[in-house]
Amino acid sequence: MNAVTEQDAYLEAVRRALSDLDPAVRDELLEDLPEHFAEVAAEGDATLVERLGPPEAYAAELRTAAGLGVAATPAARGLDDRISAVVRRARGVVGVADRKTGPLLGYGKASEFLRMLRPGWWVLRGYLVAMAITWLTSNGNEAGLLPRLGGSTLAAALLLAVCLVASIWLGRREPTLSSTPRTGLAIGGVFLVLFGLVVFDKADRYGGGWDTPQSVSGNPYDYVQDVYVYDENGNPLTNVTLYDQGGNPIQLGDPYRCQEAFYQAQAGAPMYPYCPNQRPYVVAPRAGQVSEPQAEPTEGPPAAGPSATPAPTATPTEVPTPTPTN
Amino acid sequence: MRSSFSTVDTTQLLKGVLDLAVLAVLKDEDGYGYDILRRLRTAGLDEVGDASVYGTLRRLFQAGLLTTYVVPSEEGPHRKYYGLNAAGRDQFNRAGKTWRTFAATMDGLLDERGVAA
Repeated sequence: MNAVTEQDAYLEAVRRALSDLDPAVRDELLEDLPEHFAEVAAEGDATLVERLGPPEAYAAELRTAAGLGVAATPAARGLDDRISAVVRRARGVVGVADRKTGPLLGYGKASEFLRMLRPGWWVLRGYLVAMAITWLTSNGNEAGLLPRLGGSTLAAALLLAVCLVASIWLGRREPTLSSTPRTGLAIGGVFLVLFGLVVFDKADRYGGGWDTPQSVSGNPYDYVQDVYVYDENGNPLTNVTLYDQGGNPIQLGDPYRCQEAFYQAQAGAPMYPYCPNQRPYVVAPRAGQVSEPQAEPTEGPPAAGPSATPAPTATPTEVPTPTPTN
Repeated sequence: MRSSFSTVDTTQLLKGVLDLAVLAVLKDEDGYGYDILRRLRTAGLDEVGDASVYGTLRRLFQAGLLTTYVVPSEEGPHRKYYGLNAAGRDQFNRAGKTWRTFAATMDGLLDERGVAA
């Protein structure tokens, strides 16, 4: 019985060593082996390994003699084998892309070009490390583009200098390192790039806000809340309507700014000022002009104006005071 | 050191002629794997590896030079017998001639330099 299990174990080991082959091919190849092992076992007391060598060597010999290459379908492999197969295939794809994109950049291979950019990456890496340090020590509150450690620009400059020099020094030493630290550096680099993308995105929103919805911020009259019109004599006009060159009423400010305005706001084109009682200037009337309600709206309504009947009712009721009230 | 060198040498040589050797031992009589291996050893090819013979059988069969049939066996696993078909015979004759010519050339080369057989 022991002999049978030994043969089974040997056969199983050979099968494992051939596991990269197509199952049909492998089974054909293994078909004769039980007979072989039984014959060998019947010949003497020696174990199969003593007589035939390790099963892996046996499998390799079988494979070579059968004219089957080492490369084969990745079906039914161990996890390690599958991973290495994926890595190999990925390397192949990257290699092809490398050669194909090289000429676009004016080089034999894209990697030649990228290799020249390496010092640039060292500098960027130093900067990103400085940013990461600032980010981590400030709990993510420093969202600018400079690593202002503790909010200080001087600290930013020092930290940047240290990190840049360290990164460049490390970059130059990298080829002499063993594979484990190099892998660590590569993984760290990937994380830094991801971190950098997040930080730049934040800083971009924080600083510029170009792509936020309030993109009408180019309007210079954004701050205007109300419009006060004065005639040449400094008398304030009320119920003025403004039109653009196309006859469209111009809407400025906040029609709901005060209570009077609130009632007025319903009535089509805005009448300025919304809040006549809050006018910014009160001008001292000159003699003979005080009580004359001659306030004419300076711009007449164009023909197209819909509710264009500005009622020019001057209200010179203010106590004459010479200068601006605020 | 010397003997291991010679072992490698024979193994290398065998790689080139194992096909022909297997065809030769099957020319007159069909045989199963281990049987073929034994015939080769008996004929003096001691260095031939077990797995090499089984692999070679599989390759020759794949190349369409062999026929196979299974003979059940009472004790132990069944045996797969191999025999030459017409293509196999043809191949045996051609490869045999090639070997003869090659061996004669080598013999001549060595004879001229007084290497003993």
